[in-house]
Amino acid sequence: MASEIELIDVTKRYPGVAAPAVDSVSMTIRAGEIVVLVGPSGCGKTTTMRMINRLIEPTSGRITIDGEDTLSLNPDRLRRGIGYAIQQAGLFPHLTVGQNVATVPGLLGWGRSRVSERVDEMLDLVGLDPAEFRDRYPRQLSGGQQQRVGVARALAADPPVLLMDEPFGAVDPITRGNLQDELMRLQAELRKTIVFVTHDFDEAVKIGDRIAVLGPQSRILQYDTPEAILANPADDTVAGFVGAGASLKQLRLRRVREVELSRAVTARVTDEPAEVGRRLVEAGREYALLLDARNRPVSWAHVRHPGQPRPVGDSVSLQSTLQDALEAMLTEGGAAVVTGARGEYVGLVEMDAVIGTVQKLRGDHAEPAS
Amino acid sequence: MTAAVAQRQRADRLRLLVQPIAVVVLVGGVLAWAFGQDLDSIERQSLNASSLVSATWDHLVISFVVTALVLVVAVPLGVVLTRRWARRAAPVFLGIATIGQASPAVGILVLFFLVSGLEGLWAAVLPIAFYTLLPVLRNTMVGLQGVDPALVDAGRGIGMSAGTVLRRIELPLAVPLILAGLRTALVHAVGVATLAVFVNGGGLGLLIDTGYKLARVPVLITGAVLAVGLALLVDWLGAVVETYLGPKGLR
Amino acid sequence: MSFWEFVNDRWSRLLVESLLHVSAVVQCTVVAVVIGVGIGVAVYRSPLGSAAAIALTSAVLTIPSFALLGLLIPVLGLGAKPTVVALVLYGLLPIVRNTIVGLAGVDGAVRDAARGIGMSRFGVLTRVELRLAWPAILTGTRIATQMLMGIAAIAAYVRGPGLGVEIFAGLTRAGSANATNQAIAGTVGIVVLALLLDGVFAVIGRYTTSRGIRGE
Repeated sequence: MASEIELIDVTKRYPGVAAPAVDSVSMTIRAGEIVVLVGPSGCGKTTTMRMINRLIEPTSGRITIDGEDTLSLNPDRLRRGIGYAIQQAGLFPHLTVGQNVATVPGLLGWGRSRVSERVDEMLDLVGLDPAEFRDRYPRQLSGGQQQRVGVARALAADPPVLLMDEPFGAVDPITRGNLQDELMRLQAELRKTIVFVTHDFDEAVKIGDRIAVLGPQSRILQYDTPEAILANPADDTVAGFVGAGASLKQLRLRRVREVELSRAVTARVTDEPAEVGRRLVEAGREYALLLDARNRPVSWAHVRHPGQPRPVGDSVSLQSTLQDALEAMLTEGGAAVVTGARGEYVGLVEMDAVIGTVQKLRGDHAEPAS
Repeated sequence: MTAAVAQRQRADRLRLLVQPIAVVVLVGGVLAWAFGQDLDSIERQSLNASSLVSATWDHLVISFVVTALVLVVAVPLGVVLTRRWARRAAPVFLGIATIGQASPAVGILVLFFLVSGLEGLWAAVLPIAFYTLLPVLRNTMVGLQGVDPALVDAGRGIGMSAGTVLRRIELPLAVPLILAGLRTALVHAVGVATLAVFVNGGGLGLLIDTGYKLARVPVLITGAVLAVGLALLVDWLGAVVETYLGPKGLR
Repeated sequence: MSFWEFVNDRWSRLLVESLLHVSAVVQCTVVAVVIGVGIGVAVYRSPLGSAAAIALTSAVLTIPSFALLGLLIPVLGLGAKPTVVALVLYGLLPIVRNTIVGLAGVDGAVRDAARGIGMSRFGVLTRVELRLAWPAILTGTRIATQMLMGIAAIAAYVRGPGLGVEIFAGLTRAGSANATNQAIAGTVGIVVLALLLDGVFAVIGRYTTSRGIRGE
């Protein structure tokens, strides 16, 4: 269940301020996508988002959700149908975790047993054991747990639209990464329409289906997929915001399964070293990968001293990003071993494959400058 | 907390501006009204310049003697009770002072009068001083305890004696709180001093009491309004002192 | 007559006066809470309004209670009326101030979240803001009650009810046998009642404050 959101010439002016805070923004947010509004602080991205659930009333313009004008609805009722998660979670400190999650279903008048079932389901969904966390108070939770409860509360009434305002802004980098992964997992399951505000471009690249890079007064500088923005920033401002290392960032968007794997010379750990050496000379290769009885990679044997194999360090899976693969290549020296679901050898990623992928992305998104 | 502090400062600034004006208008208006009345002989006995001035003067004397007494008792007591060797006695004194303040002022005044047999100024001053001791004592202790131990340490570290540290570092830093406590005490004192009439201590309470007992409304109202004006004025002066006499670096 | 014999002798009368004293203070506190919280709610969003409300109520507090009671006599006469008005007025300041401080202290993120998930303004106020400000409001109420216990004693001067009657009776009968006993009974009685009331407040605080915000 998801809805399409459309902003049409939306403008916000504050009395006594000459320049509008948000100047005539139009954009379409497709159903079931995560759209990230990203831009420097003070650019109006939060204001833009808050106009969608009318926490801020637009001065002019229209916002529709599934074609229905939001201004025609009662604002409180409108908000009950839109999930809302913010930085530092904004949990009600005087209510338990369960009561916090139950707030919106309560406002919507759900029955008691349905609400309590839903609370448990939601806590489960965000990875908190209901039996352990339901009756705790927010101050008894870590920052990351509070954010999870915040997301559970936002999703409790199963809203088709979810607004998130820097929801992971106040937690440490490791927790933040975990929460981002969780959100992506949730989204794969739920397919909501999510509007996500952040000032962190890397976060935008990681979680966004589409990114709107905003300039002053919420002017849309570029609205496209992360790949396209990284490969071909619309102007210097966007390029500056994308920052150095755009190509490296692209590697995070590509998975190992998308590139062509090459094959290593393989042998059993039980094979005679002399035999392994002979096969390497025959194939004209330097290294052979030694596998155990269940085809799992164990070590590398060099052609000149096949009797002294070197253990395999990092390996990557088919789901790993190319960035992970590159990291493994750099530590392993040349190629990264790819393993399957049960740890079995699948193939190798080599440097040429990575370079080829980046170049192909450039080519795909190269457009004549407008 | 910062929002609350800002809130209070705004309120204080507002009072700094409005309060003296209100006092002048109020007192001026009532005096003009009272003297404009057709006063009978009983009323004239109370409502004349000399008796008004003397009642006000008595009232001020009581208030300032009380404040002076509180100052010389509560501040040294607060200093002593925050020294390391006397700290264990602090709860006892704070407890007594708390009970003192929780008790009804008029009760303390009357009890002291009945038990001591004193009359006049001292019958009023001593119980009122006991009653108003707490804010100054507590603020002195809180102020001294709030001084960053690192500063005391630094003072000792550069070779100051314990006495010098107290005089040059701890007390100056505690001054704003001590002043705030004194202001509270002084306003308290002006208020309770209206009750001094019950122990023949005079003051503006005398006018109120006379007006009430003899059913002379102009006397009653003049006395009450003068007491109100005096309290507001003293409170305003306290605010001015607090605002402009605290250590400059802490304002 | 010793003090204990005196208390024994007048027990029923002292009990009635104690009840009247407490009941006057409690009823006036309730009225002051209703008015004070109302004022706090009305002004807390406006800095100027808050400053004005605090300035005005603290100015009222500096007014000597004996003077205020005196001023009320020509208007309201004697007895319960001036007592109630004076007690309510004096009770306002701590309640108004703490309501404003408590409401202003509510985390903006919590307020924003409450609006954002679709609570009405009234819902945010009653279900979130006032609940979070409650400990502060209760503290203000507690301070007000303690203060009113003492002021109510002076109200006996205008024929108000309560233990102040004993104190003033002791004063007018200075020199007679039971004068001191009466003054002691009135004064100590008020202190004891004030302490009891304080205990009641501690209990109320325990049972009406969410465990999630207690102990701060």
